[in-house]
Amino acid sequence: MIQIQNLVKAYNKEIVLNIPELTIEKGEIFGLVGNNGAGKTTMFNIVLDLITASKGQVVSKGIVVRESEDWKDFTSAFIDETFLIGYLTAEEYFAFIAGLRRMSKAETSDFLATYADFFNGEITGKKKFIRDFSKGNQKKVGIVAALMGKPEIVVLDEPFANLDPSSQYKLRKMIKDFAAANGTTFLISDHTLENIADVSTRLIILEKGCVVRDVPKTENTLQEVEAFFKPVVEAHLF
Amino acid sequence: MNQTLFTLAWRETIRSAYWGKSLATNIGLGFLAVYFSVCFLILGFAIPEMLTKSFPNADPVSKFNGILLAYFAVDLIIRQLMQKLPTVSFKPLLLLNIRRPKIANYLMIRSVFNFFNVLPLFLLLPVTFSLVANAHSGLATTSWFLAVFILIFSNHFLAIYLKWRFNEAEYGFFILLAALAGLFAVNHYGIVDLSGALGKLLDLILVYPALTILLILLPVLFYFLNVRFLQSRMFLNVLSVKQKEEKIRDYSWLDKMGETGRFIALELKLIWRNKRPRSLAMMTVLMLSYGLLIYRAQPGQEIPGFAFVLGGIIMVGMFSISYGQFFPAWHSNYFSMLMCQRLTMKQFLRSFYMLVTVVSVICYLLTLPYAFLFPKIVYTHLAMLLYNLGVNIPIMFFVGMYSKKRLDLGQSTVMNYQGVSATQWLGALPLMLGPITLYYLFKLIFGDTGSYIALGAIGLTGILCNSIIIDFFAKQYRKQKHQLIKNYKNS
Repeated sequence: MIQIQNLVKAYNKEIVLNIPELTIEKGEIFGLVGNNGAGKTTMFNIVLDLITASKGQVVSKGIVVRESEDWKDFTSAFIDETFLIGYLTAEEYFAFIAGLRRMSKAETSDFLATYADFFNGEITGKKKFIRDFSKGNQKKVGIVAALMGKPEIVVLDEPFANLDPSSQYKLRKMIKDFAAANGTTFLISDHTLENIADVSTRLIILEKGCVVRDVPKTENTLQEVEAFFKPVVEAHLF
Repeated sequence: MNQTLFTLAWRETIRSAYWGKSLATNIGLGFLAVYFSVCFLILGFAIPEMLTKSFPNADPVSKFNGILLAYFAVDLIIRQLMQKLPTVSFKPLLLLNIRRPKIANYLMIRSVFNFFNVLPLFLLLPVTFSLVANAHSGLATTSWFLAVFILIFSNHFLAIYLKWRFNEAEYGFFILLAALAGLFAVNHYGIVDLSGALGKLLDLILVYPALTILLILLPVLFYFLNVRFLQSRMFLNVLSVKQKEEKIRDYSWLDKMGETGRFIALELKLIWRNKRPRSLAMMTVLMLSYGLLIYRAQPGQEIPGFAFVLGGIIMVGMFSISYGQFFPAWHSNYFSMLMCQRLTMKQFLRSFYMLVTVVSVICYLLTLPYAFLFPKIVYTHLAMLLYNLGVNIPIMFFVGMYSKKRLDLGQSTVMNYQGVSATQWLGALPLMLGPITLYYLFKLIFGDTGSYIALGAIGLTGILCNSIIIDFFAKQYRKQKHQLIKNYKNS
């Protein structure tokens, strides 16, 4: 689905991302973990052609994202709250995105109705602009908007951050159900290992811009990843 | 402590990505500053002679005192439009060991270092030495100078206080204008002689210099109003959310126009729901009355041709110029989201073009009644309408490709002072001076009427080519996309 080829991103000769070869298969829930500055957001931004790579390219479903804009037809994303339009209400924002993704009004309201539980009565039907929402509720709007119009690739940067515990569990299920129903490829990053290990079918650890682990999900994935990130000092203590 | 705050403010300025890249803006502002300083200086030297010539029997100093009130009134309006408010992002400071009064005082002190407080001195100093000092003792002259100086600072603090207030209630500016107009009428029709009163007070100071001390109360009062206001605003709840329900207007009827309609609806929401574009829109309405000012012939004199060009471009094109000079930065907050969507740049540009066209045509129709004063306005304004749509908009598209600064729409209106300052008007200058220059060029070749036809013809060509122009810029904007995203992120 997505091929990353010889990808290098450098700022003033400091290499922040260096991935020689990486292929993400269709229907994969691709989980990305890594400490701050590991290059997660940079990678997503390059996949979405929001920043240019210094070298190499990303090919999405046969389309070089740098060269054509056709990938936008089947890709959607939520990177951060700058993806929201603050002066719209949630409904207006959904309607705006629905228009861009060619969904009819009826489709949109049916679609939104399925997420009523996730919204917890705090998103729709409020006479409130998105800019006045709490961080968590803003995130919910962004995530659901990214699922609109049956995209084949969904990129979510830290979707679990700022969400309350119940919503985090709901989101895990939502992503898995959505992928199972539509065969969608997800690219997700997060800092909570438990969430990302649960939701993804394949886990990648980035460190200083390089892929240091690439494992399909098994029962031990969580322990494996946890072991990687645990400070060495602690290991000495026991 | 204050030094820390000054350092912070300094770093905030020079480390914003905007700084330095806007060399042209700085040069432009510098040029204007020098220009006005020289004008004031020349005026300062010319005033004594003008006064003695015009009023041979009156005391020129007293006459000068008599017109000062009018000056201060104009000054107050100009300051509202041009003067920048001092700001500091105080949110990170609130938890540090810096007292709120300290922050407020710091802001007030910083506000004093402003060009608008220096400018009047260019006029005042020559007047003091060549007019007042000639007729009065050293002590009287000094105290007179001090009195005017104090009044300048009273006006400064009053202007800032009002500006802070108007930031929260934007109708305030129009109330101020109305109030000043009312006072002008009261004064003009001799109901109460206000300017005479201030003049008499200053005359009195020349006789009893000690009175100056009383005047000090004025700036002190305004200063404390400011400080009190600022202190009351330094809380997060005031800073962030208004919890009241918003009035949501429905724009779904625009969906019938398809993709472009959807974007126009977005632009309309942007304008009505955010303070800054909304005040621009209100300014557009206000500017429609500009004709009353500019289309007024003195008996026996003719209105110069450029006045019709300027009047036309301002009244018909005010909205497109003031709104368009920040295109596409209005959408800067969610620009990367738009760039991930299945919209084409073409729709984005076209919806802006259509919105501006509709508003400009409405403005043209609204200014038609001026034709009762001068029938030729029917075609001069039409020429400017065509020129504005055909030439100025492509220019704004071009300038927009290099837009650097993100516009913060997301913040609530309190403490968000981005934008209303001299810089904002600077960008509009070439868009207004361009047609005036062309007018004179064409006038040499085709004569007066022919010149308007030529201006209109250029504009019409631009409008007819608009789909080619939009295609061209759509391609250019796609190339600029990464740069724009980077600029908006870093500013």
